[in-house]
Amino acid sequence: MQLLEHAQNGVRLTVSTPEEDIRAAAAANDSLILEFEAFRDGRGFSLAAVLRGQGYRGSLIAAGKILPDQARHLRRCGFDAVELSPGADAAPWRRMDQVFSAAYQPASGDDRLVWRQRHAAPEDPATLAARLNAQWGDADAEDLLKAVLDPALARKAAAISSFGAEAAVLLHLISRVRPDLPVVFLETGQHFFQTLAYRRELTERLGLTDVREIKPGAAALSKADPRGDLWRSQPDTCCAVRKIQPLAQALTGFDTRITGRKRYQNSQRADLMPVEANEDVLTVNPLAKWSANQVEDWLLDHELPRHPLVEQGYPSIGCWPCTRAVAADEDARDGRWAGQDKTECGIHERMLVPAC
Amino acid sequence: MYRYDEFDAALVRERIAEFSDQVDRRSSGELTEDEFKPLRLMNGVYLQLHAYMARVAVPYGVMNGRQMRQLAHVARTYDKGYGHFTTRTNIQFNWPALQDLPAILTDLAEVEMHAIQTSGNCIRNVTTDVFAGVAADEIEDPRPWCEIIRQWSTIHPEFSFLPRKFKIAVIGAAKDRAAIRTHDVGLQIVRGEDGQTAFRVFVGGGQGRLPHIAQEIASAVPGRSLLAYLTAILRAYNLLGRRDNIHKARIKILVAAIGIDAFRDEVERQFAILRQEDLRIPDEELARIQAYFTPPPFETVPAISPSYDAARRLNPEFARFTRSNLRDHKQAGYGAIIVSLKPIGGVPGDITAAQMEVVADLAEKFAFNEVRASYEQNLVLPHVRLDDAHAVWSRLREAGLATANADLATDIIACPGLDYCSLANARSIPVAQALSRQLADAALLEKLGPVRINISGCINACGHHHVGHIGVLGVDRKGEEYYQITVGGSPDEQAALGEIVGRSLPADEVAPAIARALDRYLEIRHDGELFIDTVRRLGADPFRTAIYELTDAAA
Repeated sequence: MQLLEHAQNGVRLTVSTPEEDIRAAAAANDSLILEFEAFRDGRGFSLAAVLRGQGYRGSLIAAGKILPDQARHLRRCGFDAVELSPGADAAPWRRMDQVFSAAYQPASGDDRLVWRQRHAAPEDPATLAARLNAQWGDADAEDLLKAVLDPALARKAAAISSFGAEAAVLLHLISRVRPDLPVVFLETGQHFFQTLAYRRELTERLGLTDVREIKPGAAALSKADPRGDLWRSQPDTCCAVRKIQPLAQALTGFDTRITGRKRYQNSQRADLMPVEANEDVLTVNPLAKWSANQVEDWLLDHELPRHPLVEQGYPSIGCWPCTRAVAADEDARDGRWAGQDKTECGIHERMLVPAC
Repeated sequence: MYRYDEFDAALVRERIAEFSDQVDRRSSGELTEDEFKPLRLMNGVYLQLHAYMARVAVPYGVMNGRQMRQLAHVARTYDKGYGHFTTRTNIQFNWPALQDLPAILTDLAEVEMHAIQTSGNCIRNVTTDVFAGVAADEIEDPRPWCEIIRQWSTIHPEFSFLPRKFKIAVIGAAKDRAAIRTHDVGLQIVRGEDGQTAFRVFVGGGQGRLPHIAQEIASAVPGRSLLAYLTAILRAYNLLGRRDNIHKARIKILVAAIGIDAFRDEVERQFAILRQEDLRIPDEELARIQAYFTPPPFETVPAISPSYDAARRLNPEFARFTRSNLRDHKQAGYGAIIVSLKPIGGVPGDITAAQMEVVADLAEKFAFNEVRASYEQNLVLPHVRLDDAHAVWSRLREAGLATANADLATDIIACPGLDYCSLANARSIPVAQALSRQLADAALLEKLGPVRINISGCINACGHHHVGHIGVLGVDRKGEEYYQITVGGSPDEQAALGEIVGRSLPADEVAPAIARALDRYLEIRHDGELFIDTVRRLGADPFRTAIYELTDAAA
């Protein structure tokens, strides 16, 4: 619904005008302004519903004494726009218009209806990903997240977080949308102690209620890496034992995985889409299109706690043996597996494969 | 009973987020109190005489043990350890702090409960027959239709700012146990010509200062058209109902003013131009909802229970309880037990947290995990095996919940009155308590048989005094609390408004006067004639004489 900051020209009738006069005016004009004289006077909602039900296709603008809390009532009854009173703050109007992800009862607006969704066949993941990218790919990350977590989609979602240098942004968004979303943290056994402390601090600060600490299987670990130094000789195998296998297990049953990956992080991620589909699994990267500056601004604006190693020159943080600080002229992820060909641990490639 | 799916749960969660946003904007001054008021009312938050009040919806009166326990938790954690059941089958908490309300709503959401539309000028909690799914005379269980209406009316974009509140009740039998003719819209399930579910529709009932009995507007609206028909009624009312005078804003005034035939024409005109196909309940959705209300897994047991009969023979107190508080069940060997919230000298409808937990226990152990709240402000355990009735009674008795008075003279319906309510002229509770003590004798009560006494503390009539067999209305006479008595009202399928018998009485004269009227009934009744039938046969005069006997003699 459009929010109009200036008074509109056109036929203006109060909601106390008799229904037949309103209908006559609608028949003769392709734009109508309905003026509410008191926000408690709900006649305007029925008048709009009557006009839309009768096939009126012109524009319908609400004006006068109305509250932001009535935005969705207006939209769903068939209004296209609201004339805001001078100096009104548009933010609560936008917020209140989008409070509900679905509605029970059919109305003139185009809301997704619970009664239809309950019995509709689910979209296949590729179509769904394409739709979500088209609809929300350029929207706020929070809106994308909301759209993905919409119960109408019935996706079983979990987020993955390293609780590293920039993790606070995604986790902050999650805490605003659904603080009880499962968040998987891979406790590889070789994290910096600062990361573990940061995980506790951030979890508590954001009020996340389902952060899951996933550890490698004891048997697999004692077999593959009995001395805890596999990273020296075979870093890929080390990642497999400490990250990839435990993650696959932790994500069993989840068909939607949310990550904090961003395009700017390295060249492999340069084409990253906000929503990716592979067979039945969606991978959602709400921050894909964010710039490093945007991330930094968000952290500052929301006064989010920083990973303690950031100020010591670690812009990307994994396990301690394979992470070092970077120099001013290096890329953020140059400190990961430095001196090797390896640039990714592999969880994100594997994540696209449906979990067994 | 109905269980939330992810859509229902999300909607309640989003409603709490919306309300929190509104509370924040009120705190910051962005919303004025005048703007905030209807928004908080639509979330069940009233400002009463001494504190805020939270009214929690019990949709069509159906709860499970877990929900009852959570209500006990709310009572104990945020209130003074008790709650009050209303005639709308909701529960009210009288002492919550405003800052606790989001926490209360969150705790309720955890057990699939909410306070949405328990107040305000919108469609309120739909009510039904407390014996739905129990009574042998019902042609179809009304609860699935109640759930459909609940969903359809929840956060309705068009009908959230009506001229005034709007109440709907649904029954599935010809016998009216939900007072549908006192509602804005009353629905009675009937069989249509095609043999399918249809609704006989009544419109324009209501109480308050200008009481009306609802009139029939349609004899058989097909089930699939129900929501379209309700939409047409509400649309006509929303457009034509008065908004200039709060006392004349209910649909009953509109219907009375233009006449039922003109109103029917208006509804039919709106109905004809509606996009009905949009409002047709999808078959699969109806089937989905109905599946939640299939009968519980009853055991096949004989209609006669020897242990139950033996307990009745051995224990006269238990026998009396079963005569008044146990109702027949359509399933052989089962009964429905009325849990009385009307102890002698108690506050009608009040229940402590500990008592709620007892009822929750009993529901889980003996009643397929179901409790109902009734129009009469009692609770009902709907499906109890007769074999278990004595065990249930013993637990209820220990908890003070086994007063043998269901539908008898001390089963008084009363509003909270001036003890709590900012609208009241007079107190209701002390009058109810005095009357309850006056009529406490169990043998007398049983001899009197079914008598419905209703008490309201003001003309808004929350105690439904207009339709009490005997009604008591609190009035303010130059700063003194006085009470006007009516006789002959009835909320059922023979609904009628009581007749005012004469001048109002001071508080301490009410109970003795009513006792005299009931004594007179015992003198003049025919054998087996119920109180209300004697009133219908002879009119109010004999009772008027009895009520004013002593006061006239003194004067």
